Amino acid sequence: MVKLAGALLIMAAGTLIGFAQAARYAARPRQIRELIHALKRLETEISYGQTPLPEALARVGAALADPLRHIFLRAAARLAERRETTAEACWTGAVEAVWPDTAMRAGEKEALLRLGASLGCSDRPDQLKHVRLAMVHLEAEEAAAREEQRKYERMCRSLGVLGAALVVILMV
Amino acid sequence: MNIEVSAIFQIAGIGIIVAMIHTVLKQMGKEDMAHWVTVIGFVVVLFMVVRLLNDLFREIRAIFLFQ
Repeated sequence: MVKLAGALLIMAAGTLIGFAQAARYAARPRQIRELIHALKRLETEISYGQTPLPEALARVGAALADPLRHIFLRAAARLAERRETTAEACWTGAVEAVWPDTAMRAGEKEALLRLGASLGCSDRPDQLKHVRLAMVHLEAEEAAAREEQRKYERMCRSLGVLGAALVVILMV
Repeated sequence: MNIEVSAIFQIAGIGIIVAMIHTVLKQMGKEDMAHWVTVIGFVVVLFMVVRLLNDLFREIRAIFLFQ
């Protein structure tokens, strides 16, 4: 009886681990796409609205879903606090703080950090160019992430179940 | 009798599961990992068989050497 309960627990745990990994693979392209939309909105705020940077970041962040929203809101809050010296420092700090909660990898982070280097410290066309550059970079990453999702999502699920079954058989 | 039959079923189960993991990994283009899984499964099964053989030889020695 206890053996059966333990086997069921191990099976459940393995299956859940597999599904969690698969969910990470599924979440990455979705979050990159959201980030691209957010950058498009930021581009609009910069080019047509000519909004000040903290307000623009807060507005862009307010329309986003959960893990990504905090990047923009936190950067806006840090800018409004006026404790750090540059907008780049605020942006970098916000990205670093929120990054572990997202499903994204180093390539997207690199693109965002490079964008932060030019935010708020040059003229409008230059900033727009950098935002567009980051968007192109993110689109390439999104294509790669979709490819990876197609390849590894189902593999993770079946591997979780099969690995759990293997452990159960080994321990019977 | 009972123990040996369950050990045989256990080895068969390990073989089936390892074969499925091998197929899944190979389909997704990770041949190297698939081969490692197979090798590790083989080693585990080998250890179980060695333990059973150990029992067998002990039995033979007990019977024919009159210890």
